[in-house]
Amino acid sequence: MAKNVLLVDDSSTMRKIVSRSLRQAGLDFGDIFEAGDGQEALDVLEKEAVDIVLSDINMPNMNGIEFLREKSGRDGIKDIPVFMISTETGDDIIGEAKSLGAVGALKKPFTPDKVNEVLGPFM
Amino acid sequence: MPPIERYITEATLEVFATMIFIDIIPGEPLKGQNDGIDSNLTSMIGLAGDLQGVLAVHCPETAALGITGAMLGMDVATIDDDVRDAIGEIANMVAGGLKVSLAENDIATELAIPTTVLGKAVRTSGQAGVSRFIVPFATPVGDFGIELKYVLH
Repeated sequence: MAKNVLLVDDSSTMRKIVSRSLRQAGLDFGDIFEAGDGQEALDVLEKEAVDIVLSDINMPNMNGIEFLREKSGRDGIKDIPVFMISTETGDDIIGEAKSLGAVGALKKPFTPDKVNEVLGPFM
Repeated sequence: MPPIERYITEATLEVFATMIFIDIIPGEPLKGQNDGIDSNLTSMIGLAGDLQGVLAVHCPETAALGITGAMLGMDVATIDDDVRDAIGEIANMVAGGLKVSLAENDIATELAIPTTVLGKAVRTSGQAGVSRFIVPFATPVGDFGIELKYVLH
């Protein structure tokens, strides 16, 4: 069954590029929802049937780490898997993200092939 | 002293090769005070930590429109939110690449969120003793430049 995806990035351009890359990677997905920061992402998760989240880290209002921390305390949504998609791929920040429940990370810039390689097993 | 100019060039080439699909040719870094690119749009991102400063992407209108169109896979006729956002994201990704290269030299850097400014001949300024260079790039849609003004602690 196709997975519904939530894209979280303050850049609308990047959300469009990730959406296009998912298509180009040939991944089987259903609806794509979008959010501009962590707070908007939490609001979407509370309302929509989302199967996987692809989230930036460096965002205004509520960044990706704060989003993971807040999400981990909410029973209805805490088990939805989150991938980090960011220029921030140092061991320290990705380690913190994984300690808060992130299941993987994809470094910007990326190719559709890389999207397929990293996200394919989860789609 | 790490080869910061080369890091900027390599990060920019990677961004354009993987996500924009426009051939770009880097030029020699410019270090004079009056070498600004003829720019209509500038996206800047602050850098903090062991290297402090500002990375700025300077684009004339034709280059900004062409690059954004290539990123989004559509024609873009005027400078709008998409263009501001796209050039800001390029600044973000190039700064991210620079951060990774600096980290390999044990230089820790943190990135702010990009800001985009419209207007001709935008110049950044800083305190005395700040280093500065611009790497110019030639593209089929017009030239652009990436400036770094920084202090390395």
